[in-house]
Amino acid sequence: MAAATALRLAEADRARLNATLAWSEEALAAEAELIGRSREPGALQNIPVAIKDNIVTTGLPTTCGSRILEGYHSPFNATVIDRLHAAGAMVACKTNLDEFAMGSSTEHSAFGRVRHPLDPSRVPGGSSGGSAALVAAGVVPVALGSETGGSVRQPASFCGIVGVKPTYGRVSRYGLVAFGSSLDCVSVFARTVSDAGRVLRVIAGSDPRDATTLTTPPMALPAPRASLAGTTIGIPREYFPADLDPGVRAACDDALARMRELGAKVVEVSLPHSSLAVPAYYILAPAEAAANLARYDGARYGARAAVPGDVRALYRATRGAGFGAEVRRRILVGTYVLSAGYYDAYYARAQAARRRVAADFSRAFASGVDLLFTPTTPTTAFKAGEKTGDPVAMYLADVFVCPASLAGLPAMSLPIGRSDGLPVGGQLIAPPLKETEMLAAAAALEGVLEADTEVSR
Amino acid sequence: MSVSPADVERIASLAELAVSPEELPELTAQLDRIIGFVAQLSASGDTAPEGDVQIGPLETPLREDVVIPAALVRGPAEIAPEFVEGFFVVPKLGAMEE
Repeated sequence: MAAATALRLAEADRARLNATLAWSEEALAAEAELIGRSREPGALQNIPVAIKDNIVTTGLPTTCGSRILEGYHSPFNATVIDRLHAAGAMVACKTNLDEFAMGSSTEHSAFGRVRHPLDPSRVPGGSSGGSAALVAAGVVPVALGSETGGSVRQPASFCGIVGVKPTYGRVSRYGLVAFGSSLDCVSVFARTVSDAGRVLRVIAGSDPRDATTLTTPPMALPAPRASLAGTTIGIPREYFPADLDPGVRAACDDALARMRELGAKVVEVSLPHSSLAVPAYYILAPAEAAANLARYDGARYGARAAVPGDVRALYRATRGAGFGAEVRRRILVGTYVLSAGYYDAYYARAQAARRRVAADFSRAFASGVDLLFTPTTPTTAFKAGEKTGDPVAMYLADVFVCPASLAGLPAMSLPIGRSDGLPVGGQLIAPPLKETEMLAAAAALEGVLEADTEVSR
Repeated sequence: MSVSPADVERIASLAELAVSPEELPELTAQLDRIIGFVAQLSASGDTAPEGDVQIGPLETPLREDVVIPAALVRGPAEIAPEFVEGFFVVPKLGAMEE
């Protein structure tokens, strides 16, 4: 499997996807040797898993797509890596991402943008674009990414694959480089709902090294179901605006029709504070990022600027040179909204808005809805360069995925069709800890959709 | 309320980020755009938080106060830009500003 994976990775390099940041035959051989030591086959035995480069690994460098961590070799593995190894899976490579997971297109990597496997002039989405592209192109069957505001569901939608974000706290963040600690979730890409569920089950679980993990019973694998009888699907009207892209709307209408055919009851609901989600997110996430990225200063690890002067000159030069434009913007926004005189106007209000967004979901689920269904993204994959001129235009790409991140809810995207040849994703959002029910319903829908999940040429 | 170049310089200083004079105008415009966008929250009316919605564990679990050693495969000497006799070496702290 190591040799086969190496061949596919080399091919992906030749195709210039630019989806990988680090891989080697030596590292693959070391992984094969490590998992070969176990006496019994694990749940993911011999499965190669691509790993987003903000999840630390000892065997390959971790850069977070940033010059400031260029050449950094982590001294420890993330908990999710240990869990993958314990299940017999192997780390295939580290994948390209928007720098420090800040972005929605993977155009903000210090190491070049990732190309959409179906159309190289388009983006795969972000920030986990490299992981998404590799799964969509058939290079690896599954990959890990991370979400802070939709960075797995959105690229899954653009690339025509499955992307699953668990309940916040379901999966340990130990070894996931922190961006927005109250939002970050290690998440899973796969080509099928079943594979995503298998990987999620392996990486989930409480961890004494991450006090925000939930001590709940292990996640059960979904029991196969062919019918959706007894399930109520809510469609929030705020996610189906009048100007929704017609191709996206058509694919969603088709998916809803099939869910009805499977016996689901479909009702309209309202999440009235939905429009607060993106502005609230772009106050809260940068604020947390400003704190979390303060540690990158050239003192203990990573790149260090060679400048004369005192230690503060070192910090400023290292950070000014080492961080890309989007990361710098977010650190500055985060610092601004936390600074004296602005905290109440921005950060406190954003916290209140977050609670309102979360309360909307609670109310919807309490009203008898089992799952919510929405488009994952307002459009299909956009062209590279289309949104980099205006940071806010890029932020609005997250409009449908951001709210579930703020509320800490499990949510996923699955391919539901094509529009002008480009994949369209449908999103399911579930109550806290209901990943199993969400995956079971998604698998039932997947079974009847004629969506073409075979993305690679 | 719009963001001025002086604001950006002050914030960059707080964030320990060097911003060159050439970068300042475009950065100011971009930050002004972003802050203008998120400021719509201020216009959204009441700020009373709507009850308590739980995100994450209901309570932070307590555990025994013992060190769980991290399984480190390489030490700071291999990772740090400069590491001498157990210390990370950095330039001295100069005069404090303001």
